Amino acid sequence: MSPNGIVDYSSIKLKNHHASRPLWINPGNGHIILEAFSPFAEKAQDFLITISEPVSRPSLIHEYKMTPYSLYAAVSVGLETEAIIDTEIPDSVIEMIRECTISYGKVKLLLKQNRYFVESSHPEVLQMLLQDPAIAEARINTDGAAQDAFITNKAPTDKGLVIPGKNDTTADADNNAKGNNAQDDELLFNTVVAIDKEDEEDEEDEVHSFEIRSEKFENVKKRCNELNYPMLEEYDFRNDASLAPLEIDLKPITVIRPYQEKCLSKMFGNGRARSGIIVLPCGAGKTLVGITAACTIKKSCLVLCTSAVSVMQWKQQFLQWSNIKESQISVFTSDQKEKFIGQSGIVISTYSMVANTRTRSYEASKMMDFITGREWGFILLDEVHVVPANMFRRVVTTIAAHTKLGLTATLVREDDKIQDLNFLIGPKLYEANWMDLASKGHIANVQCAEVWCDMTPEFYAEYLKASSRKRMLLYAMNPNKLQACQFLIQYHEERGDKVIVFSDNVYALEKYARLLGVPFIHGKTKPPERMYILSKFQHDSATNTIFLSKVGDTSIDLPEATCLIQISSHYGSRRQEAQRLGRILRAKRRNDEGFNAFFYSLVSRDTQEMFYSTKRQQFLIDQGYAFKVITKLEGMEKAPNLVYRDHEEQMKLLGEVLVANDNAADLDNDIEANADDLPGTVTSRNFNSQAKGIVRRTTNMKSLSGADHMAYFEGTGGHGRPSGSTPRKKAPAKEHHPLFKRQWMKK
Amino acid sequence: MVKAVKGTIVKCDPAVKQVIISLDKKEKVIIEDLDENHLLIDTSRVDYIKKEVEKLLEENTYKSELDKAPN
Repeated sequence: MSPNGIVDYSSIKLKNHHASRPLWINPGNGHIILEAFSPFAEKAQDFLITISEPVSRPSLIHEYKMTPYSLYAAVSVGLETEAIIDTEIPDSVIEMIRECTISYGKVKLLLKQNRYFVESSHPEVLQMLLQDPAIAEARINTDGAAQDAFITNKAPTDKGLVIPGKNDTTADADNNAKGNNAQDDELLFNTVVAIDKEDEEDEEDEVHSFEIRSEKFENVKKRCNELNYPMLEEYDFRNDASLAPLEIDLKPITVIRPYQEKCLSKMFGNGRARSGIIVLPCGAGKTLVGITAACTIKKSCLVLCTSAVSVMQWKQQFLQWSNIKESQISVFTSDQKEKFIGQSGIVISTYSMVANTRTRSYEASKMMDFITGREWGFILLDEVHVVPANMFRRVVTTIAAHTKLGLTATLVREDDKIQDLNFLIGPKLYEANWMDLASKGHIANVQCAEVWCDMTPEFYAEYLKASSRKRMLLYAMNPNKLQACQFLIQYHEERGDKVIVFSDNVYALEKYARLLGVPFIHGKTKPPERMYILSKFQHDSATNTIFLSKVGDTSIDLPEATCLIQISSHYGSRRQEAQRLGRILRAKRRNDEGFNAFFYSLVSRDTQEMFYSTKRQQFLIDQGYAFKVITKLEGMEKAPNLVYRDHEEQMKLLGEVLVANDNAADLDNDIEANADDLPGTVTSRNFNSQAKGIVRRTTNMKSLSGADHMAYFEGTGGHGRPSGSTPRKKAPAKEHHPLFKRQWMKK
Repeated sequence: MVKAVKGTIVKCDPAVKQVIISLDKKEKVIIEDLDENHLLIDTSRVDYIKKEVEKLLEENTYKSELDKAPN
């Protein structure tokens, strides 16, 4: 390998029939490059999706990566090692595939009566695992049994297992429709995802197991992965009689789209439910996938989401799509604490309610006992990517659930916690191809553009002098950007588009909106006013534009919107970019002939914003979106009545910006955290540290002045410490002198 | 007695001009501010200015992980 990381592979020979083999495997890292324009690509894609994870999928060349997790997922849907290995692939890759697949499925993690067992039909494997100190420690020795004795059971036979909806003759019309879909799918994929039933039947009849402490199960799972014996977590829900069944089915009118069917067929690949994560773009019906999964398992179900608003949305969606009785759905938030009636039901709650470790109210703790005291067939985790890992751990360890399904649109985080999800929940089961969905009309076609606005000389001069917080305000308030924004609004209103303008910065938001005479919503807008503005935007043909702060990122659903302009954003958060794009993906008019939605990012040139903007786009680029760069908006010079045309006005604006409170640049004071909401719904801020070695933190005046139970602390070192850095917490009190200690203790 | 200083005309966009002006505050480099897009600067400082401007603009460019990997 040459020093700059470029490897010369020109010595590798082209294969026979290379014209009909549109893919190439990099022997160095196992990445697979697929020519997506080849006529054979579509067939190859189905296979690749099964065995590997997509890294990047622009329109012509796709890149996939084989990871142990993706290979496990492949094996767990029934692909055999030899089926994956073709004759002409590099040896290093074959070795990796063998290594990953050979040990898979030998060990199972079972949940019985709220206790975790590690089960295997090969006692020697268990012995081997127990050699590991971490696993041995987690083991519970029942009845003082000898170290090497295992609990032995008859293995459950899988004969007569019914694949969901497939052979179920007594099922109602809806189930049949679903079954047909499943069969179609089966036909499509039987070469790929063959269900290997014989193999299961060949298993020995005896299984051995040992029990582990529930609080340690994550450690055990992690260790097993490291030992190359990943544990299989499957739930045989059809044969589980210990959990009371739940009367729930999709309504007959509910139709599942093909790709939703595909995700579910991955999840229920061999008639059992498998834990994992499903990645679908915003607006592609994640909720329906979750509900259908719940309808398939038909056991008690716990749904966790990020905010109280989405709790209500989930409840409403359950009622809309399924025939569940309202009395069987209960909601657990800080305002509402209900229990369902009967043996089984659905509880919808938020992560913070369940993971809360502080003292709870009497009612809440009763409710928690209710939740932790029972076994759940299914736990649905909405927006899994936002949940902090430790909170997650608490949820996963306190609640006994057979199957865990994570739903997300953007499996990216600005920190490196994404790997944790793999053993906390399970592998990624399915990731939809955005471009594919767009071309089939499930989500809207979007034209993305980045508009570069020059900073005016005066603003740039100030920018160079300003502190990092002020800089943010300066590039958001750049008069050229204001003009571009106004121009784009005018242009798109004329075309009949409904425009949403996003700004994370509330100061800029208000300023822009007032100037242009457009209604706006931010965190402090009262609910009635919010409703009024939203309904006006939806129904009034005179109101075609609204301004939203980041409250609009997720919880507001506006299918009318067809154009989106972003003027200020949360640093380099890739997730926010994708989520904002999601606001227009479900545009009502998406099926009109030649319809395009528009997504503009306004960026001030030569500023930090350029850096962030490029970083934010990475995720969407990997999904196949292309960002056009517009350096000059055609016709903007001539457009009448644009704001801040003359120099004097610009100077006045600059003056205003300069005297604006530093807090105005703050992004986080906008949304007041609800007791139920996750504090982490905004991704971590110091992602920048990796790139440049600078950690940027923003705090508000309150905490700087010490009102947050923090003392202001002046750094002593004269150099290096930026003025805007965080106050440190007071150092923990020193050990008391013995003399005083006594007195201290007395008190 | 006339004192001659060798100067170089720099043609730049308004933003870069501001960068140079801000550099000028630290250390005198500009001889004459000509107009919006032109500056006359001290010839001996050209390399220094080039370097500084480059550095500043580099800060605002995002590099993907792949580009960074070779280090």
